[in-house]
Amino acid sequence: MSDLKISHLYKNFSGMDRPVVNNVNLNIKAGELVALLGPSGCGKTTILKMITGLFQPDSGDIILDNTSLLPIVTEKRDVVMVFQNYLLFPYMNVNENVGFALKMKGINKDKIDEKVKDMLELVKLPDIGGRKPKQLSGGQQQRVALARALISKPKLLLLDEPLSNLDAHLRDEMRELIITIQQKLKVTTIFVTHDQEEAVLLADKIALIFDGKLQSYAPPKEYYECPINERAARFFGGVNFLKSTINNLNIETEIGLIIYNQKNKNDLLDNHLLAIRPENIKISKDNIFQKNCFSGIITSIIFSGTNTRYKIKIKDTILECSVQSLGIKGISENDKVFIYLPEDKLWGMNE
Amino acid sequence: MSGDRLKIILSLTSPLLIIITLFFGGIFYGLLQSLGYQPAIQKYDINFDAYYNVMFSERYAKLFWTGLGLNLWVSFVSTFLAAAFALFGALAIRKTFFAKTFCNFIYSLNLPMPHLVVAIGMIFVFSQSGLLARMSSQVGLIGSPSDFPILVKDKYGLGIILTYVWKESAFFFIILMSVLQSLGENFEELAQSLGANKWQRFRYVILPLIMPSLFSASIIVFAFSFGAYEVPALLGISYPQMLPVMAFEFFLNPDLNARSEGMALSIIIAMIVMILVIIYFWLIQSKIRKN
Ligand SMILES: Nc1ncnc2c1ncn2[C@@H]1O[C@H](COP(=O)(O)OP(=O)(O)O)[C@@H](O)[C@H]1O
Ligand SMILES: [Mg+2]
Repeated sequence: MSDLKISHLYKNFSGMDRPVVNNVNLNIKAGELVALLGPSGCGKTTILKMITGLFQPDSGDIILDNTSLLPIVTEKRDVVMVFQNYLLFPYMNVNENVGFALKMKGINKDKIDEKVKDMLELVKLPDIGGRKPKQLSGGQQQRVALARALISKPKLLLLDEPLSNLDAHLRDEMRELIITIQQKLKVTTIFVTHDQEEAVLLADKIALIFDGKLQSYAPPKEYYECPINERAARFFGGVNFLKSTINNLNIETEIGLIIYNQKNKNDLLDNHLLAIRPENIKISKDNIFQKNCFSGIITSIIFSGTNTRYKIKIKDTILECSVQSLGIKGISENDKVFIYLPEDKLWGMNE
Repeated sequence: MSGDRLKIILSLTSPLLIIITLFFGGIFYGLLQSLGYQPAIQKYDINFDAYYNVMFSERYAKLFWTGLGLNLWVSFVSTFLAAAFALFGALAIRKTFFAKTFCNFIYSLNLPMPHLVVAIGMIFVFSQSGLLARMSSQVGLIGSPSDFPILVKDKYGLGIILTYVWKESAFFFIILMSVLQSLGENFEELAQSLGANKWQRFRYVILPLIMPSLFSASIIVFAFSFGAYEVPALLGISYPQMLPVMAFEFFLNPDLNARSEGMALSIIIAMIVMILVIIYFWLIQSKIRKN
């Protein structure tokens, strides 16, 4: 179990107009499973490669258990990276692939065979040791790659887009497996993804990165409840935004005055945005709400299986609102409804 | 659909006929001559005398077997050295843009250069009356040019090997560069992160990945150098003499009876190359079957 501390990390490739990794700071506690989340090209793989030592950072430091990794060559770092496309050695069978790291350490063959067997059991592929990589399915290759990475008990496991090459049904299975193994071996793990759902489902904490800059580093829940800025909120999807200004103690929005009591109330600038998730808006045919209540017209109703989504027009603004299962009885298009925006579910952002 | 196929077959027929006539016709005619069938000098009976003569007669046996030894030595050593030279060159410079461009340029120039020209260059540079010998005696490294080691027209075929290494390494280099390029660095980076040091990455990752291409290229180079005539003719000596030179001298002999020996020797050369190639493919196949 190892702590990782990344501080003020910069990386610039020649010919690029801005740093690919721009002042990234992260503290990862021993045994944590952390997601690096961001759109394609934002520098995620570059960060992993700096942690492994395949790239040297321009400045900053990477500290594992109070020792800087920078002076240590890749092969001595005890940091193992699993690449996006698995990269099983095509000329070796599964046993040889899994045992590779131990062979490089010069460990004797019997001992390697024994460990390979354990690892293949851990990834639930006990009987395929003699096969060649091309005889395996994508999911099996991924498991073998994982077994190969973990056999030498690395201090740090880095997974580059571990699920993105898999079919949807394999993805769930693989995700479970990663969580199970990670909890069993308690290896500090960083995985990269561009899929926010994957990050939320897997990670203890998510580091959100845009254009090489760390936007925020927090548990998944916070990205839904109090996103750092509009872009972050949009990245997680399905949010209503209201342009707002400060009006004495209250907040004036496009749809009217709103009472706002969140912890960042005093930090909001004059022009800001209020966000609220569709599932947090309450709807009723009757005027039953006390405050933060507005009336509007239903413009569309969509049933999606697990919930029903309403679009409600209030003045010139359309808010989306979702209700579990079949929705509310007796509401149809063009009806007038009342909605309530709960104070504790609104979130204000300056950018 | 079937009309298209017919068209393709028809359009392929004439070039195919030419190839078959030239190739099999040549082999067949050569085989006949080697078996003693020479209507031009009224010899119509078929026998293996020429083969026996070349390999076992008192007159030629020694020349043949030493020649075969020299042939195997020159081909194996030059193929191996050219491959090794090109491999280390390619590995050393593949990541530096400038050196890569430069070497690609030099080797691209080298590739179309006739073997004969390179052989003459060897004489010019490496012989005892050549540039290197004169220069080293000028600066006092050696007493006189004749103290320079015999590298050209020597009994170990060093000049021939040197020519082949230089020429054929260009071929290997260009193939290896494109193979390395298409492999990328991912496998090496992965191995490095799994704890493989520089030597281990070469031994357990790069070498097995490029081996199939390296081996196929080696077969081509080996077969070529085993059967080629002009370089050993120019840079070799009369004893030991490489087999293609020996074959050609039989052929030039005014005595038309010697033609059969020349053809027999040519067929022997072709057979040896063919057997080596078959052994190679057999090895590959059995390896595939094992996996
Ligand atoms: N070796 C390299 N040389 C030059 N530019 C690179 C190199 N590796 C990555 N980049 C650039 O850095 C940026 C970030 O790449 P990467 O870290 O792979 O993004 P991500 O993994 O988040 O998709 C991209 O614009 C990419 O083109
Ligand atoms: Mg990437």
